[in-house]
Amino acid sequence: MTPDSDAPIIELRGFRYTYLEGTPRANEAVRDVSFSIRRGERVAIVGPTQSGKSTVVDSFAHLLRLKREQVFFEGDDVAAPGYDRSALRRKVGIVFERPDSQLVEDVVGADVAFGPTAAGLSAEETRQRVEESLNSLGLPYPEYRLRYVHALSGGQRRRVAIAGVLAMHTPLLVLDEPMAGLDPRGQRELLELLELLADDRDLTLVVCSASLDDASLLCDRVVVLDEGRVVMDGPLREVLRDADALAQLDITLPESVNGARELRKLFPDLPADLLTEEELEAELLKRLDVS
Amino acid sequence: MLELQRNVVFGQFVDTGSFIHRMDPRIKLAATFVMLVASFLIDSFLGFGLALLLVVLIQVSSRIPSGYVLRGSAFFLGFLLFILLFQVLFYPGEVPESSYLWRWGILSISTEGLRSAGILGLRVIFLYFITTMLMLTTSLVDLTNGLELIFSPLQRLGVPVNELVLVFVIAIKFVPIFIDEVERLARAQTARGVPFDEGGAFTRARRLGRLLVPIFISGFHRADLLSIAMHTRCYRGGRYRTKFRQMSARPSDWAILALVVVWMIMAWQA
Repeated sequence: MTPDSDAPIIELRGFRYTYLEGTPRANEAVRDVSFSIRRGERVAIVGPTQSGKSTVVDSFAHLLRLKREQVFFEGDDVAAPGYDRSALRRKVGIVFERPDSQLVEDVVGADVAFGPTAAGLSAEETRQRVEESLNSLGLPYPEYRLRYVHALSGGQRRRVAIAGVLAMHTPLLVLDEPMAGLDPRGQRELLELLELLADDRDLTLVVCSASLDDASLLCDRVVVLDEGRVVMDGPLREVLRDADALAQLDITLPESVNGARELRKLFPDLPADLLTEEELEAELLKRLDVS
Repeated sequence: MLELQRNVVFGQFVDTGSFIHRMDPRIKLAATFVMLVASFLIDSFLGFGLALLLVVLIQVSSRIPSGYVLRGSAFFLGFLLFILLFQVLFYPGEVPESSYLWRWGILSISTEGLRSAGILGLRVIFLYFITTMLMLTTSLVDLTNGLELIFSPLQRLGVPVNELVLVFVIAIKFVPIFIDEVERLARAQTARGVPFDEGGAFTRARRLGRLLVPIFISGFHRADLLSIAMHTRCYRGGRYRTKFRQMSARPSDWAILALVVVWMIMAWQA
């Protein structure tokens, strides 16, 4: 797609960020974060509150006062003078924690069409994309096209926000706390949708969360942040083996992992990297047969 | 555009732990009041020079960096300059023919006009500077308690002091929250492709208009939440509320108040 397709889609090198730097109210949010994400990866960025997750996400689309040589998109320094930020924002889709903040129009159809229109797509193409993304999020186009954004429920607003980002066909999709503020049913539905998306599209997916419970179903790599630093980075199972360290950081673990941690009192050699209850069951049965 | 807070000092509290911060808030309020009155009495450049010197001294001893205060006031000062320009060009007072420096139709520049605009400008700067210093060095809790105690005699006359102070404090407290909110919205919309951080001043201002509806919605929502939170904790205003922390003015506080009064009288007479 791009000439430099070997380069990671996004890379942070020694990224550090202080809000209100140089004022008495300076707040050091990110101290030292380096990682790179390759095209097509599905990465979860997890960490407790105040760990710098949201700042890291904001840096992807250059929404901060970034310094040079810290954030690279497809190999290019996004803070370099003359870098085309609008083009960057057309390639990085971010769904923020609170969906209301990113809805720019009053009517659902117009809001989803905002991005494609701004990117200069034709009316026909725009309409197609709006229809396609609304439908894929379970908001039928004919029914929701003219609904008022502010009259929708929280879960529906979040879907509209996601549709608005999907309609941009960005190669990188970032979801910041996608499950926050949704009821269990809304969470389940959204998760199913995201799983479909993750399989369906040639997409790089980044999910930010304080919980590995839902992120573990979407992602295969985990970057753990704490106090603005990367404390773990690796494949999901490898990171889960350190379940106790994760629990210490107040990260919500998948049910099966929590179960395994409890059952270790009985079976000290039980592994913790069990993603589903079935795996847990199999491991338990193995041990019960032996005894 | 991003990091708006950088440019807004009004309503912020910056704790450096200086002795100005630790003064009795009632004394600080009284001193501020004295200076407010003085700002209307003083009518000479020398007087304002003296008065401003005192505020600069206060600022230095409060250990709040001047750069922060100045940068945060840049927008305000620019606005003030713009207004003063009109004050000079359309000076309405009587002007002897000899003091006109330049004239074109109804526009003119005269020494009288310059003088009156200069005094007005200094007066506003002094007022702004002193209230900003009060807020930078006094936490909201202190400010509320101080105001309530100062005005508590009015309570007996049936003035709802507690409620009025509460409304005032909430209003001030909402300023930084609103700025935060605008910033969050601007950031999210920038990510959608509304380029808030590009374009000239005029286009930027027009884009800010887009934020008005969501800001109002979240503002009302927040106010609603706050009132529910206060109800659920059985808040009731009025004079039956007691204070956990009692205030006490030390002799040094009174000495500072006396210094301010004397200084202001000197500035007035200068």
